[in-house]
Amino acid sequence: MKLTAVIAAAALAGALPWLTSSNYIIGVALSACIFTVAAAALNLVYGYTGLLSFAQLGFWGIGGYATALTVMTFGGNFWLGLLCAALTNAVVALAIGYPALRTNRHAFVMTTLAFALLVSLVARDWVSLTRGPLGIPGLPPPTLFGYAFRTTPQFYLLAWAYALLALGFLYALCTSRIGRTLVAIKQNESLVRAQGISPMPYKLAAFAIAAAITGVAGGIYTFHLKIIDPLFLDFYYMQTFLIMVIIGGAGSFWGVVIAGVLMAALPEVLRFSEDWRMIIYGAVLLAAMLAMPGGVAGWLHAWRVARMRAAVR
Amino acid sequence: MSALLDVHSLSKAFAGIRAVDGVSFAIKPGSMTGLIGPNGSGKSTTIDCISGFQRPDGGRVVLAGRDITGARPHDIARAGLMRTFQNVRVYEQLPVLDNLMIAGQQFDEAGWVDELLRTRRYRAAVEVAETRARELVELVGLTRYSALEAGILSYGQKKLVALAAALMPKPKLVVLDEPVAGVNPSRIREVEDVLRQLNQAGETFLIVEHNVEFITNLCDNVIVLDQGRKLAEGPAAEVHQDARVLEAYLGLAPEMESERVPA
Repeated sequence: MKLTAVIAAAALAGALPWLTSSNYIIGVALSACIFTVAAAALNLVYGYTGLLSFAQLGFWGIGGYATALTVMTFGGNFWLGLLCAALTNAVVALAIGYPALRTNRHAFVMTTLAFALLVSLVARDWVSLTRGPLGIPGLPPPTLFGYAFRTTPQFYLLAWAYALLALGFLYALCTSRIGRTLVAIKQNESLVRAQGISPMPYKLAAFAIAAAITGVAGGIYTFHLKIIDPLFLDFYYMQTFLIMVIIGGAGSFWGVVIAGVLMAALPEVLRFSEDWRMIIYGAVLLAAMLAMPGGVAGWLHAWRVARMRAAVR
Repeated sequence: MSALLDVHSLSKAFAGIRAVDGVSFAIKPGSMTGLIGPNGSGKSTTIDCISGFQRPDGGRVVLAGRDITGARPHDIARAGLMRTFQNVRVYEQLPVLDNLMIAGQQFDEAGWVDELLRTRRYRAAVEVAETRARELVELVGLTRYSALEAGILSYGQKKLVALAAALMPKPKLVVLDEPVAGVNPSRIREVEDVLRQLNQAGETFLIVEHNVEFITNLCDNVIVLDQGRKLAEGPAAEVHQDARVLEAYLGLAPEMESERVPA
């Protein structure tokens, strides 16, 4: 039943270019695919493992730059660029994750924030590599076996395929015992250790996997924009991912995926009133947080727990 | 017979206060050992040092012939020592059955690749763990709660979940930190029966508890700590007659009046 619904939704999303001819709608759907993947990756770190990481913004940026530089400076192709993005991010995540995860959770948040700001500084000031504020324009459309992803609908299919792949992988991970162990680490780390499990490899793996997935998402999005500049590291992106996770319900796979799609579309739906758009958007967020502090999934969960309590009595 | 756990002149100080001061004892396989003493006598620090949650300043801890002094908690758990905590610790937001299965998962063969691909080895490991978890849940009488989140259970029920989780990997030694403190008195007998049953099946226990009656009923050997030192050791009946033990607990000497601690 659930599986059927998921397959139907995925197929419907894949068929979008044939359902509408509007490049605008397809463009929004493309952003929804990419942002949802980044949010789901953040959910792995924040929702499951309980580590609020602002480093996702840095990984998003490194992914974008690594892909663009591979193609424009080092003469590789787009796919090699994505591979570089994933590998660079995994290595960087292991390097900064190991010391940062040895600190407490609050210090971890600050460390990851500093990292994100640092990446943004490098993007702006290492002019000989990144061209600084000028950015790297004119990113060519990627090709696969002679097929070029040139138009928005074509590029959308690429983003859609990646979203399926990345979300499928994250789902397998989150629903395995690894995912359950991450939740256990979030809830009681010393109990996890008393049960023979070393938390560090789990936390490090979650951090590195999320970094690699976010990096590839950033790489794809960069080539959709056809330019990368330091604005790619704007806090707007981090805020978008975080809103998706929080509204969907940190720690709920489907909650975050559904919120990702809806929250990517919401600012666009509100375009009927240009003046009021962001005000309404803010009001919706505020109302959602007041009514459901644990996100949609948290709200459903509280309801389930209430039923369990009733059943116990 | 050689000891399962050998603790030799263990010591640990906090800011100059000797919480544990040269404590030695041995636990025989298949035995039930009680560790009692007034508040602040060093019971918790002793088992924290044994289980790796505190690093001892001196002494040696040997588990089944293997030196585990100062090892990390998860390594000690893998060596076969499982413990529970005084302030009950369970995964509040996970079902009771999952609470148990996590406790056992480090000890089977399935690796991370098996997990992601859901290989046969993964499914077999999960099946074995689930069967054992269901047995243990039944043993502690929580079968009807096994699908519910541990967080909604009562304090005493959570202690039973923690006990069952500690038993999951069939450990060599189970260390229980106050298994019946805060548990409804009518339920204490049930816990006693469960522990006795497990012990008869061969499980070895070290139990820290304030409830002297509980310890007397269960344990064949009782160790009494006071101010970080071992005061007495022996069968429960003998230890109770020991004048020094009575003094430590009841403060018979006039100068100890202010430190009166109920047993």
